[in-house]
Amino acid sequence: MKEFLLDAPVTAGFFAYLENFGEVEALRNVGEGFYKFEKTDWFSIKGMNGDTTVEVRFKKEAMDLTADFVYLLFSSYREGAADLSLLKQREQAIEKRVKERLYGP
Amino acid sequence: MSPTIDRPPLIYLNNAATTWPKPPGVLAAITQSLALPVFGSGRTTGSQGEDYVALAREAIASLLAADPPEHVVFTSSATDSLNILIQGFLAGCDAGCHVLTTELDHNSVLRPLHELARQGRIRLTVLPFEDGAVSPDTVEAAITPDTRLMVTAHGSNVLGSVQEIARIGKILHDHDISFIVDGAQTAGHIPVDLWSLPVDAYVFTGHKGLFGIPGTGGFYVRDPETIAPTRYGGTGTDSFSLFQPRDMPERFESGTHNYPGLAALAAGAEYIAGIGVETIAEKAERQTAFIIGELKEEPNVTVYNESPSLPIVSFNIRGMENDDVGFILARAYGIVARTGLHCAPLAHRAIDGGRGSVRLSLSWFTTDEECRVAARAIREIAQHADPSVGSP
Repeated sequence: MKEFLLDAPVTAGFFAYLENFGEVEALRNVGEGFYKFEKTDWFSIKGMNGDTTVEVRFKKEAMDLTADFVYLLFSSYREGAADLSLLKQREQAIEKRVKERLYGP
Repeated sequence: MSPTIDRPPLIYLNNAATTWPKPPGVLAAITQSLALPVFGSGRTTGSQGEDYVALAREAIASLLAADPPEHVVFTSSATDSLNILIQGFLAGCDAGCHVLTTELDHNSVLRPLHELARQGRIRLTVLPFEDGAVSPDTVEAAITPDTRLMVTAHGSNVLGSVQEIARIGKILHDHDISFIVDGAQTAGHIPVDLWSLPVDAYVFTGHKGLFGIPGTGGFYVRDPETIAPTRYGGTGTDSFSLFQPRDMPERFESGTHNYPGLAALAAGAEYIAGIGVETIAEKAERQTAFIIGELKEEPNVTVYNESPSLPIVSFNIRGMENDDVGFILARAYGIVARTGLHCAPLAHRAIDGGRGSVRLSLSWFTTDEECRVAARAIREIAQHADPSVGSP
């Protein structure tokens, strides 16, 4: 588990953006809103709307393959003009390697 | 009745792991212990400081009615104590020696015993529990002619239940079986009278209910001759001898003591004695009952023991991972709890299928207002959970 300290508060919009890459659960009426993103076999991200920290839990067997993608998700959202198709291509390439690592070729 | 202590704005309900805050006298004792050179009999010619080791031994012996005080041995933790005792009681045990423990126990008991079983040195039986406790009848039924030892928790760190140590100990002693009791969750929380309890060894830790700091613990042993020492070294006594002294407590205490830790432990035990363990237990029972009463109002909340004897409340919210509940409690409400298996995997396998739980654990310093805030927070979370997702 790693705690990421962000330079700006995390928002509900960020988690909506993450839905492009996995499942998001939300309890919007708890505190300022609780959000959890789950990308099976990769990692999960938990956070409260308005917090500057989020908790990221990696599947350790594939962490070396997936860790960079977390940073990419944060930076691409912050830049605001993320090229989703490029990110999806990157995701698919990593996905192939993760599956091979975890389940064999 | 609890004193006011300056603290950051959080509600700390993880006292079964480590108590916080500590009594002011504990902090002062640590500072004082480091302000002067240590004075340890046989280890220095100085005589201006306190003998913290002796102070702590007397304080613990008095609190637990452990007699004689020299049979109180200091170690670095309850885990350390359990390893010393288990190895010591079973020294010379040939393959086939039978040992009992329970599903309620912590990994500090389960792992040493399972390792011995894997090595083929013992045959291990793990007894099931019902309603938070292992029945004395279950213990008696599990005894075989080669049963030599039982090791179990006095209080469950998951359920807050307390075992019938007196009845179980009598049964074991009737069969000439040794009995190690892990008191990590009971020392300082409920009255413990080792003078009358039929136990051969009782383990404590410093940093939980006794208000000491991490790095301290120990055990009381009734008959030291029944346990082989497993550590050897300098004691500051009988130094011409190249063998470990047989006297107590040197038989089991080698190396330089944790003086600041024992100064804290002595102060913590004295603080508890000043209040009275019964008073501490009564307040904890009232506050725990209040929280459980509140949680029971929520149909989405499952409380795993509705009448604990220790200030521990384990629960889950239907439709939520316990880890998520802990996260929300911490981030949205400033409430520190603990989630997961609490190092007691077999207890969780029995109560929640191994999923783990959220655990709230109180101390003397927990206020009624903190209990109200925590209960309200959990109820709020439960009211917004989706019970159709997952199951507790």
